[in-house]
Amino acid sequence: MDYCLNENVKIISFTLNNKKVKAIIDDKTTLLELIRNVFGLMGAKEGCGYGKCGSCTVIMNGKSVRSCITKASKAEGSEIVTIEGLGGDDFSLDPIQEAFIDGGAVQCGFCTPGIIMTLKALFTENPNASEEEIKKALKGHLCRCTGYETILKSALLAKERINNNKK
Amino acid sequence: MIGLSPSRKDAFEKVTGRAVFTDDIKLPATLYAKILRAGVAHAEILSIDVSEAEKVEGVVKILTGSDCKDLYFGCCIKDMTPLAVDKVRHAGDAVCAVIADSERAGQEAVKKIKVEYKILPHVLNALSAIAPGAPIIHEKNGEYSSTPGFYPEKGSNIYHRYKQRRGNTEKAFSECEAIVEADFEYPLNAHCAMEPHCCIAQWEGNDRVKIWSSTQGPFVVREGIASMFGLNMSNVEVFVNFLGGGFGCKSDLIIEPLTAFIAKFVPGRPLKLKLTRKEVFTSSVLGRGIQGKIKLGALKDGTLHALEAKLYFISGAYADMGCNVVQAGGYVASGPYEIKNISADAVGVYTNTPPIGAFRGYGHPEAHFMIERSVDMIASKLGMSPSEIRRKNFLCAGKVNGLGQVITKDNGNLHACLAQVEKELFAAPLPENNEEFIYGRGIAALMKTPMMSPNASSGAYVKLADDGSVNVVISGTEMGQGLHTVIAQMVAEFLNIPIEKVFVSKIIDTQYSPQEWQTVASISTYRVGNAVLKACADAKAKILKNASLYLQIPETDLSFDGEKVYLISNPSIFIPLKKLAIGAVAPDGRAIGDPIIGVGSHICRGVESPNPETGTGNSAPQWTFGCQGAEIAVSLKTGKIKIINIATSIDAGKVINPELARIQMIGGMMMGIGSSLTEEILFDDAGQIKNANLNTYKIPTIDDMPEKYSVYFVETPQPDGPFGARCIAEHPAVSVPPAILNAFYNASGADICKIPLTPSLALAALKSKNKDKS
Repeated sequence: MDYCLNENVKIISFTLNNKKVKAIIDDKTTLLELIRNVFGLMGAKEGCGYGKCGSCTVIMNGKSVRSCITKASKAEGSEIVTIEGLGGDDFSLDPIQEAFIDGGAVQCGFCTPGIIMTLKALFTENPNASEEEIKKALKGHLCRCTGYETILKSALLAKERINNNKK
Repeated sequence: MIGLSPSRKDAFEKVTGRAVFTDDIKLPATLYAKILRAGVAHAEILSIDVSEAEKVEGVVKILTGSDCKDLYFGCCIKDMTPLAVDKVRHAGDAVCAVIADSERAGQEAVKKIKVEYKILPHVLNALSAIAPGAPIIHEKNGEYSSTPGFYPEKGSNIYHRYKQRRGNTEKAFSECEAIVEADFEYPLNAHCAMEPHCCIAQWEGNDRVKIWSSTQGPFVVREGIASMFGLNMSNVEVFVNFLGGGFGCKSDLIIEPLTAFIAKFVPGRPLKLKLTRKEVFTSSVLGRGIQGKIKLGALKDGTLHALEAKLYFISGAYADMGCNVVQAGGYVASGPYEIKNISADAVGVYTNTPPIGAFRGYGHPEAHFMIERSVDMIASKLGMSPSEIRRKNFLCAGKVNGLGQVITKDNGNLHACLAQVEKELFAAPLPENNEEFIYGRGIAALMKTPMMSPNASSGAYVKLADDGSVNVVISGTEMGQGLHTVIAQMVAEFLNIPIEKVFVSKIIDTQYSPQEWQTVASISTYRVGNAVLKACADAKAKILKNASLYLQIPETDLSFDGEKVYLISNPSIFIPLKKLAIGAVAPDGRAIGDPIIGVGSHICRGVESPNPETGTGNSAPQWTFGCQGAEIAVSLKTGKIKIINIATSIDAGKVINPELARIQMIGGMMMGIGSSLTEEILFDDAGQIKNANLNTYKIPTIDDMPEKYSVYFVETPQPDGPFGARCIAEHPAVSVPPAILNAFYNASGADICKIPLTPSLALAALKSKNKDKS
């Protein structure tokens, strides 16, 4: 049993990757535990457990959040999107995912889903985010492989493609 | 396909979150382990009381050191037990293991265990640990079972001393025009791979166990676990999926022995041990950590003539993972230069700190930090430029390195690497100093050899599917470096088939996958590549044989073009590959030939142990040369260093995938920048790490990106490398710190021999320099 509950349990309802779901949680359950251990969505990773590395990032009501330090109870009534919720059911990719492949932003891949989710939230809110704004958003993500160069390049490529698609 | 940059084989699953890492594996009925860490650096364990902890709901069992007395393990020096027995040797030592049905219950129980210690004096650095009267950390030092070639000094904390002796240093120093002497400090660093270590063990009988682990060395784990528990190695099945970064912290034996030991107490059940980020700092392995001394002498013409070097490694509480790091550091004490008189000692010292292990560069960054700074210091004394003195002394064809190996032109071209870095770095004039910033440029060269077990090998199978697509089975781990992609390129090139038709196995299973030493030492492109090419050649021969049987034409008259086998003299006579791949069927219905399975392996031959007295010998299988450079701005107000340009040129042999190679260089340089400017493991007075977290142990963020990364390659083919390729991955992290400190000297005139170059250290150096002037 990798999902352990104390006596303070309750049932919450929320939308996960566009589907309405219910789950039993307690007052200690984190959003990351809920996503990984109840719903089996393994794309969000635990890199530190205290909100520093960004590997666990998901989108809640349009904002990127650190699921490892977010209480699951906060999910009540919310809309959550994880990396598994990007792209289409036919394995088509979100432009950010595509740009990460084309721009060579992927190495070990452990930090990748979290970074993509932060950019998804950023570009959804502001498709014209400047390089400075992109860097500011990515400052909360640690990557030990890339030196960030291809991540930044891919983020800018994604932005360009998102804006071109709209025209 | 060689020299092109197709996109990564694993990119799709990584951007979609589908790539499986060890913690993503969920097995039915899994139990969880949580570990009580010592919290004190050096102490006798007087008593352990688990009675309250056992009452926590969900706790299955609690284990202590009395459960593993004499269960010593290790790859080189067997000085570790899964849990501390009788005493703890560093604050991260494992004291008790709680087995529980959830991590949460395990954690709660850990808090309720009461341990009584008799605190012993501790030592947190190498010089204190070798000082007279220092507390002895291992009473059994020198008695542990060990592979040959290590020289412990009984009754002391020195577990190994590698000595390199060439010429006559005493006489040589008397002949020198200039001599510099300096003390160096390269502190302990943490790897900070983004994926914390995770391992699952499941005993399926008293004689067999399965292990899933985030390890770089599944076959090393198999051997280690088998010998620890007296099992047939073939009964130990180790599985490896993707690794979320390695950098050495997942090589050798790290948490697998502990996990397998704990799991043995809950037979049949999968037992998962996942380190917290804090435990990754305190209780896996650290890297680097030396205190060193150099005396370097040069003749009037700039010839480096004599070197006395001492490298004392702050090796931590256990020697097993660090002993060869020490050895490697000693091999390259003289750097990429010919110095005819050398007396170098690399000393592995037990300290009450977490053990050091492999870390990108493996002893080489520490040694280069010392020699590359010293070379600049002596150049300045002789009035030579840093480039000039390097050119004068570089290893090149006919010169002899510290091990006594004669360098050939096939080893690579340091002069060309330096020329590329100089061209990049000195393309424009240095910005003028102003009220806010002073500017400087520095260079540092490097050489690196893969340190490995004498019979280190790789294996590969190449098997064809009915349609002629190819499965490649290898046991090199994919931890971000891009091995799967590079291997697929080699197969596509050799068999002349599209890369889309090549699938490289993702999961390693020691019972099905070919033998592989471990994925370390930057050597997989070279060694796995060679094995794969041999497997491809074997497959190709079998394809031709099948075709020959089918067409009734001698093999020598046939050729294979990736799609079909045809008669050379008349290409209209042919048979498509898909009719041959799993054995052919003749027009009359008879089966012809065999399914195509190509097998290949590569073993590095001729590597010998160094002479115990002189430390010389053919102990380095190959060398990679390179040069690095930095342009920096130093803020006069804050002391903060800004990296304007960081450059690397490596003689890579043939670059198989230029984009993967380029980003490998960039990532390595960024790691070097972290070591240079911010990264340092700090201890409190009790010997606990003060910054065992990612908030205060500062690895570079996107804000720390230099203004420019510059990457160049020289391509002097490695004669026995696949397509001429050689090892390159660790190298960009090797000489960044001396390049930056040399740039700081160039900017300020202050010689610093210690990293990280923090703002306060920089300001203090500027201040004392100004004092000198006034």
